Amino acid sequence: MATEQLHPETTQPAVEEHGHNDNVTHLFGRVIPLPVYTVVFITLAIITLIEVIIAELPSGFLGTVLLVGLSGIKAVLVVLFYMHLREDSRMFAIVLIIPVVMAAISVLFLATIPTGNY
Amino acid sequence: MTDATIEAPHEHHHVASDHEIAARAENLKMATWLFLASEVVIFSVLIAIYFLFRLEFPERVKEVHETAGVFLVAINTFLLLTSSWTMVMGLRAISKDNRQGLIQWFSFTAVLGTVFLGLQFVEYNTLSAEGITLYGDSFGMRFYAPTAFHGFHVFIGVVWSLLVINHARKGGYSKRDHIGVEVFGLYWHFVDVVWIVLFTVIYLL
Repeated sequence: MATEQLHPETTQPAVEEHGHNDNVTHLFGRVIPLPVYTVVFITLAIITLIEVIIAELPSGFLGTVLLVGLSGIKAVLVVLFYMHLREDSRMFAIVLIIPVVMAAISVLFLATIPTGNY
Repeated sequence: MTDATIEAPHEHHHVASDHEIAARAENLKMATWLFLASEVVIFSVLIAIYFLFRLEFPERVKEVHETAGVFLVAINTFLLLTSSWTMVMGLRAISKDNRQGLIQWFSFTAVLGTVFLGLQFVEYNTLSAEGITLYGDSFGMRFYAPTAFHGFHVFIGVVWSLLVINHARKGGYSKRDHIGVEVFGLYWHFVDVVWIVLFTVIYLL
């Protein structure tokens, strides 16, 4: 049986189906496959383990770049899959990205000011 | 005497249409994202203050890292990541009309959040015993302000999760309307993302 629902982004009717696949849940215009959540969780745990190992090893600039990169990957995974930004309205992404970019630019600007001058 | 009955206005229950529920959900989510954007600004300031100190006094930070170690904080990171997973599993449960599943998964989330706070308390005690206090030197405030502010957010999250569980126990939320669960999920995952950044900037770099 199919029931008509509205997609939150497009406000167009979306079709919801029940009982065909136990591993997939249909929300209002959203599909949540069970394995994705668990795969993301395992990925996050493995990356964290790698981060801890890198931090414990004697490493210089390369280690810093790796740690920042891995941290960024973890944050993006959570935002895209757990906070559903991957399929939600793009306006939500814009609302999040603007302050993040502004903050990053501000910090980089402050970091360039010579020590003791702020 | 007439047998007429007067029907109270509140007896006319308005049943929200799918369109109304979807529109309400989108509005609430937008409001939540705007709130989270303001939180980004606050946490950015706190992290920037620490980061600039880190650039200026790398030796002091290295001393603290050697004193504190990363084991306890790594455990806490795993706890918070796991709590995010239990959170989405709870959301998935209610989206399948499984209210009991929601209660169980969110109970795990609340327990994991509480254990996180307990371990953070242990960490603070350890650091304090090593002389790293709020006003001990210029490092203290820069370390405790962002981590404690984050801990406060976890505390709010634990209380919020208990409220959601209580509402679910009373029959609240359904497959059709569970925006309250989604909004709380956004908040909790945001707290998780902030910790991912704090863990790297403060404890690993």
